[in-house]
Amino acid sequence: MNTETEQRAGPQTRESTLVARGLEKSYANFEAVKGVNFEVYRGECFGFLGPNGAGKTTTMKMIYGAAVPTGGELRVTGLDVRHHEREVKRRIGVVPQENNLDEDLKVKENLLVFGRYFDLPRKVVRRRAEELLEFVQLSERGDAQVEHLSGGMKRRLLIARALINDPDLVVLDEPTTGLDPQARHLVWDKLRELTSQDKTLVLTTHYMDEAAQLCDRLCIMEGGRFISEGAPRALINEHVSPEVVEFRADPDTLEKLAPLIEDLSDGTDRVGEALLVHTSDSEAVTRRIKGAGVTVEHTLHRQATLEDVFLKLTGRSLVD
Amino acid sequence: MTTVRLPSPRGAFRVWQRNATIFRKYWKTIMLPNLFEPLLYLTALGLGLGAFIREGGVNGLTYTQYIAPGLLASNAMFAASFESTFNTFIRLKIGRIYDAIVSTPVNAEDVVAGEYLWAGTRAALYGTAFLGVLTFLGFALSPEALLVSSPWALLIPPVLLVVGVMFSVMGTLFTSLIESIDLYSYYFTLVVTPLFLFSGIFFPIEDFPSPVPEIAWFTPLYHAVNICRSLAIGPSPGVLLDVAWVLVFTGVLALLPIQLMRRRLIS
Repeated sequence: MNTETEQRAGPQTRESTLVARGLEKSYANFEAVKGVNFEVYRGECFGFLGPNGAGKTTTMKMIYGAAVPTGGELRVTGLDVRHHEREVKRRIGVVPQENNLDEDLKVKENLLVFGRYFDLPRKVVRRRAEELLEFVQLSERGDAQVEHLSGGMKRRLLIARALINDPDLVVLDEPTTGLDPQARHLVWDKLRELTSQDKTLVLTTHYMDEAAQLCDRLCIMEGGRFISEGAPRALINEHVSPEVVEFRADPDTLEKLAPLIEDLSDGTDRVGEALLVHTSDSEAVTRRIKGAGVTVEHTLHRQATLEDVFLKLTGRSLVD
Repeated sequence: MTTVRLPSPRGAFRVWQRNATIFRKYWKTIMLPNLFEPLLYLTALGLGLGAFIREGGVNGLTYTQYIAPGLLASNAMFAASFESTFNTFIRLKIGRIYDAIVSTPVNAEDVVAGEYLWAGTRAALYGTAFLGVLTFLGFALSPEALLVSSPWALLIPPVLLVVGVMFSVMGTLFTSLIESIDLYSYYFTLVVTPLFLFSGIFFPIEDFPSPVPEIAWFTPLYHAVNICRSLAIGPSPGVLLDVAWVLVFTGVLALLPIQLMRRRLIS
């Protein structure tokens, strides 16, 4: 009931930073985004999930002006991206998927030169550059060459660079892809700090744990459309059973298992050498299997995650 | 997008400023070879080849006097061509510098205009150093036949800026069309080198049978050479036609690479 009132109150009380209505992007012989609607509120973190080619990056690009929508409407802080290109870009920060730091410039110079693109006064840029290097824990590396930074440091510098104009909206395309766990956690901490400072974040990711950790709400895209949208917990409740039991055994045994627990499960998945049983009562499932005297090599129960939702909705086959 | 987009001077300046910031760090190292280049040409061609050129030289000039100002123009062409080909390609495709810039209030069209101005600036800086060397060599080696003898020569650096912009427009046009950095061999072999050889730097192209001089008239370096030579030894009114040619050609062509590069940066 509580969530219902919150949702109802939402649109009136919260300012929307980003609004898309029937947003489309088509190229000569391919429709990348086929009419999506979304609204992201100030201080919120909104995630775009989906297999490769789902249209996530194209949607991001339309937000920061690297792609021009071919249909529908897209507004950033109330401004239409097609008619207020420069003004929109002035209000957003972008962390791209691939590093595009200026390697001819040192770490701090990257921030100083970037600040000039926004016409910020030199004093302001200098102060912010110091603060941001501090924020992303690179103060000691200000005079280093960019090429000497590790992958995680480069990503942090990209985040600092995206903040030089004190943006209302930060767009992050796969912010932790390729980073080691320590670096990922550090990036997550920084992104959480940003939402607590009332910045709006929009990100794409392939990591379901990342989405679950960071996003207040998220959408799952496939083939240029939204196939589901909501808070991570709500999506799990809506699409999958709360628990999963994984059995590992030889294929013949797995064949025998499925019929045994049919009435207790909401569905099963065969993934390689494992059988995944979606259920509300994992205790009962394991008891039943034990009772039947079937030997399995390995049993694991866990809570259902966003990954289960994702795989259920987008399928298990590989997308290129 | 069919609308023609004009660059904003402010955005173009920011891109120019980015390149200037980097150039300032290394300018001494970058410019040094540039001072040797005129010496090499003047020694090999001016003194070496020039010794075989009959008494009276070319059009009343010694051979060294004849080729020196033309080399100023070709030097600007080379400076701007390298900037708008290899350097621009690296920023576009390898460093992805432009992708980062166009996510700021600086637009794609500003990036291209800023690069034009920067290539022009670089051409003017190189040319000024080259001009200094020529002036000095003239005084030091042959005071009776100075290489640069007219006060009009003070206009050469701004002219080289415009010539640099012109060759930057051409180089950027080629860059906006290619996918692989290896294809520049076509541009340099089929465009830059023929211009260097047949624009009246080393011999008067007017003395060739028709239609060679007519063809030369339609090429850009020919006019740049005429302007530099006029300013070095004292101009005639005909030079205004060359100036007009350069301005019209540059102005007409400049918008095309802007639109093409925008298409590469913004989908």
